[in-house]
Amino acid sequence: MTLWRTLRLAIRFSLREMRGGLSGFAIFIACIALGVAAIGGVNSVARSIEDGVAGEGQVLLGADLRFELNQREAEPAEHRFLAGLGMLAESASMRSMARLEDGSDQTLVEVKAVDAAYPLYGALTTQPALPSDELLGRRGAAWGAVAPDLLFERLGLAPGARIRLGNTVLELRARLVEEPDAVSEGFGFAPRLLVSLDALRDAGLVQPGSMVEFAYKIRLPQGAGEAELAAIRERAASAFPQAGWSIRSRTNAAPALSSNIERFSQFLTLVGLTALVVGGVGVANAVRAYLDGKRAVIATFKSLGASGGFVFAVYLVQIVMIAAVGIAAGLAIGALMPFAAGAALSSVIPVPATGGVYPEALGLAALFGLMVTLVFALLPLGRARDVPATALFREAGFESRGLPRLVYVATSLGLAGALALLAIAVADERRIAVIFVGATIVSFIVLRIVGWLVQQAARRSPRVSSTALRLAIGNIHRPGALTPSVVLSLGLGLTLLVTLALIDGNLRRQIAGSLPERAPNFFFVDIQGSEVDAFSALIAREAPAGELMRVPMLRGRVTALNGVDVQKISVPPEGAWVLRGDRGITYADRLPENATLAAGRWWPEDYRGEPLVSFSAEEAGELGLALGDTVTVNVLGRDITARIANLRQVEWESMGINFVMVFSPNAFAGAPHAWLATLTDRGAGPGEESRVLNAVTRAFPAVTTVRVKDALDVVNRLVGQLGTAIRAAASVALVASVLVLAGALAAGNRARIHDAVVLKTLGATRRTLMAAFSLEYLLIGLATALFALLAGGVAAWFVVAHVMRLSSSFMPEVAVATILGALAFTVGIGLVGTWRVLGHKAAPVLRNL
Amino acid sequence: MTEAVIALKDVSLTLGDGPSRVHVLKEVTLEVAQGEATGIVGPSGSGKSTLLMVIAGLERVDSGTVRIAGEALEGKSEDQVAAFRGRTIGIVFQSFHLIPNMTALENVAVPLELAGRPDAFAAAERELAAVGLQDRLTHYPGELSGGEQQRVAIARALAPEPKILIADEPTGNLDQATGRQIADLLFSKARERGMTLVLVTHDAALAERCPRQVAMRSGRIEAAAPQLRAVPA
Repeated sequence: MTLWRTLRLAIRFSLREMRGGLSGFAIFIACIALGVAAIGGVNSVARSIEDGVAGEGQVLLGADLRFELNQREAEPAEHRFLAGLGMLAESASMRSMARLEDGSDQTLVEVKAVDAAYPLYGALTTQPALPSDELLGRRGAAWGAVAPDLLFERLGLAPGARIRLGNTVLELRARLVEEPDAVSEGFGFAPRLLVSLDALRDAGLVQPGSMVEFAYKIRLPQGAGEAELAAIRERAASAFPQAGWSIRSRTNAAPALSSNIERFSQFLTLVGLTALVVGGVGVANAVRAYLDGKRAVIATFKSLGASGGFVFAVYLVQIVMIAAVGIAAGLAIGALMPFAAGAALSSVIPVPATGGVYPEALGLAALFGLMVTLVFALLPLGRARDVPATALFREAGFESRGLPRLVYVATSLGLAGALALLAIAVADERRIAVIFVGATIVSFIVLRIVGWLVQQAARRSPRVSSTALRLAIGNIHRPGALTPSVVLSLGLGLTLLVTLALIDGNLRRQIAGSLPERAPNFFFVDIQGSEVDAFSALIAREAPAGELMRVPMLRGRVTALNGVDVQKISVPPEGAWVLRGDRGITYADRLPENATLAAGRWWPEDYRGEPLVSFSAEEAGELGLALGDTVTVNVLGRDITARIANLRQVEWESMGINFVMVFSPNAFAGAPHAWLATLTDRGAGPGEESRVLNAVTRAFPAVTTVRVKDALDVVNRLVGQLGTAIRAAASVALVASVLVLAGALAAGNRARIHDAVVLKTLGATRRTLMAAFSLEYLLIGLATALFALLAGGVAAWFVVAHVMRLSSSFMPEVAVATILGALAFTVGIGLVGTWRVLGHKAAPVLRNL
Repeated sequence: MTEAVIALKDVSLTLGDGPSRVHVLKEVTLEVAQGEATGIVGPSGSGKSTLLMVIAGLERVDSGTVRIAGEALEGKSEDQVAAFRGRTIGIVFQSFHLIPNMTALENVAVPLELAGRPDAFAAAERELAAVGLQDRLTHYPGELSGGEQQRVAIARALAPEPKILIADEPTGNLDQATGRQIADLLFSKARERGMTLVLVTHDAALAERCPRQVAMRSGRIEAAAPQLRAVPA
């Protein structure tokens, strides 16, 4: 028979065979649909957000090109250059304190000061809607300002109320509903306060060394293409090499958001893949059960002259068609997700998800679905190929055991390898994908071994007198027992659950538990040099028991390492943050108290030689820097090159004042700068903290005070949201695991009806049978939960200690909760099915014995 | 004497491993001529069905030779034997073994489709008419009585026009009257088409309808009628 004719005939036979319906394949289809929907949906949503970012680039950036300068305004020559490019809008952003007119309360705000040209693209939405000059202009003694509901709530105000910012008075004239370019401003720690640039100047907050960022946004003449954007960047770089500005264009409006979306979608893709792989176990179970029921048909085909290969083809076609149903269902859900996400995410992500169908994302999901199906279906299919026609003559020996022919095993393994490679190939962070693939493979192997060990232990256990226990142990190790598939599906799901629970618990503990004890109560930013002594005196008065630490604070960007432009250096992702954007830097004549020297020597107190720098040891290692190397930083538009004199161990998690780079004092001689201070007062309660905060804001309106507890609350909320998102995502994998478990137990129950009926006719009571089945589920659940605790503990430790670099601890309460949950779940779900088994009428079963 | 269409010589077969190892056939020698109808009888476990499986090429022997329709089965691959069986041997089972999701017509067409016959459905329809089921073409096995199902199975076995028809307890699952009708059908069709018929049965009445009977016990051919040339080992 030619291949084509064989295939056509196989398809014809498959279609006839499938007339019986897909009832046995509900779990199979659900598993595949779930995984495909997760992967296809997540990637489609990510694409739609990326499309939104790309399509709305001008609005999100508020410009075609945006030049950012830190702590300084553009020089006249730079300003002329910028103004010559097109329509120019200027703005400044900084954190500061907004306080009530009577000084009785205050809160941290993210101030954004704009000029009359704002916004160049998009529209500022306020309530009530007012023209720009009415919103922000001066009326009498007060400047106009706009703020979101959050600020009104925090200070207990209504529109029309007045507040103070620095040395000026603001009138809150409207509520801020939508700020079109909010996303390009980065992460907002506190509520926005939108004012005019003149108001900010009047407030007196912009002092030399203040932590303020100036943005120059350009609207280019209509029709300016990408080439023009690139040419302007080059001109800017060559005309002002020392400017130290960071330039973003409309094509890269929200780089942090884009990379976060990418990272999260990759994480979710891996979760979806976990769901698919876990579902693969369900696929294997369903295919095996289906083919076991088809053995007589297969044997009949063979007795009528069908070859083994033809039989394989008939059932392969069926499995692929059934998988196609699941894939199609998954794709339909996945394709709808961008539309649903657009509405759901609008409050979380300030970017319009455009909706739309993304064939590439859906195609990838379908490919994953098909490959997982084949990987898991090939072995049972290979076994079916070898069903002997003699099975028709001998009713015994219908169960298939052992491995199928080598070619099927090899193909299945080859496809599994291809699946792993594909998962790694489509990942942006290959290292994480490799770890994921490795962990999945190891989990599978180890869970197989655990299942085997449980069965061996049951087989070798001494004879017990309890009938129920004896039946339970027998059920665990008999041929065709549920043990391997239950251990595998429950084990994968539980391990994931334990891992996430421990990571989440550790993160919460780090933030809410151990940190605040060591962390300071306050950070004070932008203390002017002339105010430092008065400030210290005030703190000594208001918090006599407190410990004040103060350091000079500048902002600078690393521009070169050993004379090589950082744009041309590739560094590992874990160290890249040091070179990204501006870093806080300081100088000191002595080693900071909370650091220890790891290598090299500290400079003498009156050092006058070439500028030196002390680098954080860990980050230096990641960037490949050693003693004697040079680092160039751009500070206030000036490049300063310093040689690494020593490396320090920095305890980042102490949340005290830590810097990657501490320079020798002579490096910034004469550079204007402000001071950063921390106040640590262990005994201070909320009352004392409020008093200090209020006193500082009254006396030093330009100093920005960040209460660490408030900051931690913000971070906690974020971690909480992230945790919820991760748990929601992981629940997809857990649902797959539950589906597989339910499928395995349902398949087991079919065999159990037979056992229960026979045992009942021999005099076993319902109670004995119920106890036996409960004990069986309990024992399997216990063994699996123990494994999950161990594996999840190791995985969580790896993520917390090595990926997040935090101290990791095992949490027994999580362990106990997981064990109890797993046992309750396995026994519960098992007994639901068993109850039906026990109620089964004996006669129909006995007639078929 | 024409050449025997079934020729088994010194055939031995052992099944199972270890303690469950059973010597199922012990140096069995049997020849059946073209067109002959032979009944194999014997108690359960005597090796009757296994002997049928050997004849159908479903079981490979440990020693001895098996020639069916002039071809030696040793040395053929599993798939070659399957194709050979499809052309040469029709099998009727006690439990019918129709494919539940296929209609009567499709069931009968299966061996013809597997053999690549373009007229598979027309031929299948003729066969069903020949067993009196021309009105049941589109019925599924579940919609047919036991007797009707066995008729479909006989039509399916006859459809490729095999030289040999083997039947394993063909009336075992049927009531007496239906069983008799099925036996009539089987014998008449085999006779009409000059097919060699080998059937295994516990039913003495059915066995007696065969001109030749072979009795088996403990894996050996124990006794044969005088006209038979079966040789007890």
